[in-house]
Amino acid sequence: MNNTLLSLVIAILFGIGTFLILRRDIVRVIIGLSIISHAVNLLIVSAGAFSGKDVPIITHNEVVPTNTIFSDSLKNGVLAPLLNGTEPTHFVDPLVQALVLTAIVISLATTAMIIILAYRIHEEYGTTDIQKLKRLWG
Amino acid sequence: MDPFISITLAVFLPFLLAAAVPAVEKLIKHKVGWFASFVALVSFLLVVSLIPLVMHGEHFQASVEWIPSVGVEYSIYVDGLSILFGIIITGIGIIIMSYSNGYMGHKEDLPRYYQWLLLFMGSMLGMVFAANTIMLFIFWELTSITSFMLIGYWRNRPESVYGATKSLLVTAAGGLFMLAGFIVLRSITGTFDIPTILQNEMLIQAVRGHELFLAALILIFIGAASKSAQGPFYIWLPNAMEAPTPVSAFLHSATMVKAGIYLVARVHPIFSGTDAWFILISGTGIITMLVAGFLAFRQIDIKALLAYSTVSQLAYIMTMYGYATYQEPGIGVAAATFHLLNHATFKACLFLVAGIVAHEAATRDITRLGGLRHEMPITFIIATIGALSMAGVPPLNGFLSKEMFYESSLEMGHALGSPFTFIIPALAVAGGVFTFAYSIKFIAAIFLGKRPEKGLPSHIHDPSFVMIIPAAFLAGLIILFGLVPSIAVQNLVEPTASSIMMETQHLHVKLWHGLTGSLVMTLITFLLGIAVYTRYDSIAKWQNSFNRKYPFISINYIYDGLVNNAKDTLKGFSSFMQPGPVRRYVLALLFLTIVLFAVPFLKLSAGFIPTLNFDVAPYELLVFFFMIIAALGAAMLPKYLPAVISLSALGYLVGLLFIYLSAPDLALTQVLVETLSTIIFLLAIVRIPQTFKERITPSLFMRDALIAVSVASMVFILLINATQGIIPPFESLSYYFIEKTLPLAGGHNIVNVVIVDFRGYDTLGEISVMCLAALGVYNLIHSRGESE
Repeated sequence: MNNTLLSLVIAILFGIGTFLILRRDIVRVIIGLSIISHAVNLLIVSAGAFSGKDVPIITHNEVVPTNTIFSDSLKNGVLAPLLNGTEPTHFVDPLVQALVLTAIVISLATTAMIIILAYRIHEEYGTTDIQKLKRLWG
Repeated sequence: MDPFISITLAVFLPFLLAAAVPAVEKLIKHKVGWFASFVALVSFLLVVSLIPLVMHGEHFQASVEWIPSVGVEYSIYVDGLSILFGIIITGIGIIIMSYSNGYMGHKEDLPRYYQWLLLFMGSMLGMVFAANTIMLFIFWELTSITSFMLIGYWRNRPESVYGATKSLLVTAAGGLFMLAGFIVLRSITGTFDIPTILQNEMLIQAVRGHELFLAALILIFIGAASKSAQGPFYIWLPNAMEAPTPVSAFLHSATMVKAGIYLVARVHPIFSGTDAWFILISGTGIITMLVAGFLAFRQIDIKALLAYSTVSQLAYIMTMYGYATYQEPGIGVAAATFHLLNHATFKACLFLVAGIVAHEAATRDITRLGGLRHEMPITFIIATIGALSMAGVPPLNGFLSKEMFYESSLEMGHALGSPFTFIIPALAVAGGVFTFAYSIKFIAAIFLGKRPEKGLPSHIHDPSFVMIIPAAFLAGLIILFGLVPSIAVQNLVEPTASSIMMETQHLHVKLWHGLTGSLVMTLITFLLGIAVYTRYDSIAKWQNSFNRKYPFISINYIYDGLVNNAKDTLKGFSSFMQPGPVRRYVLALLFLTIVLFAVPFLKLSAGFIPTLNFDVAPYELLVFFFMIIAALGAAMLPKYLPAVISLSALGYLVGLLFIYLSAPDLALTQVLVETLSTIIFLLAIVRIPQTFKERITPSLFMRDALIAVSVASMVFILLINATQGIIPPFESLSYYFIEKTLPLAGGHNIVNVVIVDFRGYDTLGEISVMCLAALGVYNLIHSRGESE
């Protein structure tokens, strides 16, 4: 189960980010996007933290959790059914972490791209006001 | 050679060699047209070599799987019908491409011209040999596209563009109807394969008894009518006359417009003999024949006159294919098939003459032409042969098939009984009368009478042999088929009629067949035709004044209205959907997201009281507090620099929080990435002076705050509910990774193993994104100053 306060913090970050991407100043919009991407990453990771507490690193070779929930039968097309109500593993979900790890790096790429874009827009048009970039309206 | 290979070669050689045309043009310059003719000749020979195979109504089929899961195959079907069309397409193709060598100036874009001609020819061939309806549809639409390129060949002329667009809109849209019809047919029979249906009497009966019979017939016929310019769809053909004349001769006499006829003949065994078939096909045919024949009178462009006559002649053929009763399913089939062949010869011939006249006299306007018989004697003779054949004068081939048209009309009228015994032959004669009148007009306007004083070049003469020989060859065929009809009938018409009727047919076509009813009808036609011709100009004048008075009684008027309205409506729609300011897009997106999320979640969580968990360590609380402060700082600090620093503080705090969430790898990555992005941010931001400050009015603040609060609440509800079992538990992949990391990948850190091993391709994609972004940034910086 998630921590309610953490959920609240994530929601507030979302709200602040949303308010910022509605601004006319392109730099504010970029800041807003960054805040939202932080919030999304936290949302996904926190959603995976409900089933366990431990860091997903196997410390001992023998601690491969093979108990009843791993009915790893590829024949039936089912990898590992999570049974409702059971305590399946003491790890947090590693998959969401792997996804977010990718997302963090990608967000670096996009942030770099749009901040340079903003810089170039300022150079070409002398403004950071999105409203004024009518030539780009298409 | 194996027939399958022959046909495949005949269809795809034009496609392949079309790609080679530009290279060949480099080599032999403007003689490239002969290369195209040679390709057509190869296809022609390949098709001709298969005539013996189908002489007695046999057929051949072979296929390779293409999309077996839905029953789509590359499948060819060779029978008399497809061979006849194959010969017309490639035969006229050779003639047209040779003629083009004289017609097209050396400065024209010849590679493009011949490329599209070859592609068109290949598409037509593919269509007539297709056994699978889906394959037929694909080639069908390919002919629409290639003909669009050919009609719009002179792309700088607005009339060309208008004509090309019109033909594409009408014929491609019609093709979609046809596709729908094929799908209906499949839903009835369970197959896309036409021969399967043709050869199975049970399936044909099933189609006829099915409640969707009429839907299938009408949909397929709309496709055929749009391609063959029948009924209201005729409007594209006159405008398509903007094409270079050889293209018109090819597309609008012999091939593309015959595609619809082909389709009707192809599905004839499935649908014919029913009342619906007769009313739809013959009804549309008769009306089109009369209206188009009548409208030809007011045309002053010789090509437009030929266009209307083409519409009218195609309507003859349609009408004849429609002649079928349950007892006698093939009254008009042989006549239609013969006329189809004859029309290809005389109409292509007339188009070539029109091209010669336009080429030599520099005009196609009949009010400015006249009296050219002395200057162009050979052209005059050829034109006379073609036009008289169209008018149905013996001993030319047009006379024979016109006679057969009258004969089948008599038979059909007889089969239907009173009052049709009289009406149908009378309507047929009326169509013949119009044809006779405009055929005479065609010769008279160009060659007879007095040469106009001015407006024509002073020296007009017969063209070079390159242009005269193809036309003369066609004129020779007209006479040959007229005098010795058995050549064409036995080799081409009989096999075709046999394959349509699904049984061997024997025809006896003779020039003189005694004083029959049809001969009487022909004589009446000539008499009335001469009478109408004497009133030709006054009829044309009346039509013009009628058109001026009631411009809205015209299908073109409706078409223009529809297309222009579509432009305006779409303009309004797109300026509403894409107003410009980014903010409105964001607003629309957010609004939609809120609605899409909130509605199902409120529904799901109704009556569900989530357990709240406020159990946090004091240091966590501190992190939360600072995160919100940092975010507010990034949002509210007026200067960019402090705001960005505040933002990076938030990033580091997120990294710290990752540690509490048992995600050490994320924490590490976050800290590294945050450092990098802060550096990039700062590098850029110090160069952007803060000149602009948005004034946030209270109402604007209220609106945006409302949206922000909605989004925040939505996220909050989502998070609270999603982790508490409102969403039903599903099978998670995570446990697979937990279990397999060590045995399969030999790693202890599950997240790392997932990234570099299990989901390695994902990471590869991620690296590509980084590279692209780096390249983008580099280019953005270096594109400076180039615009000046």
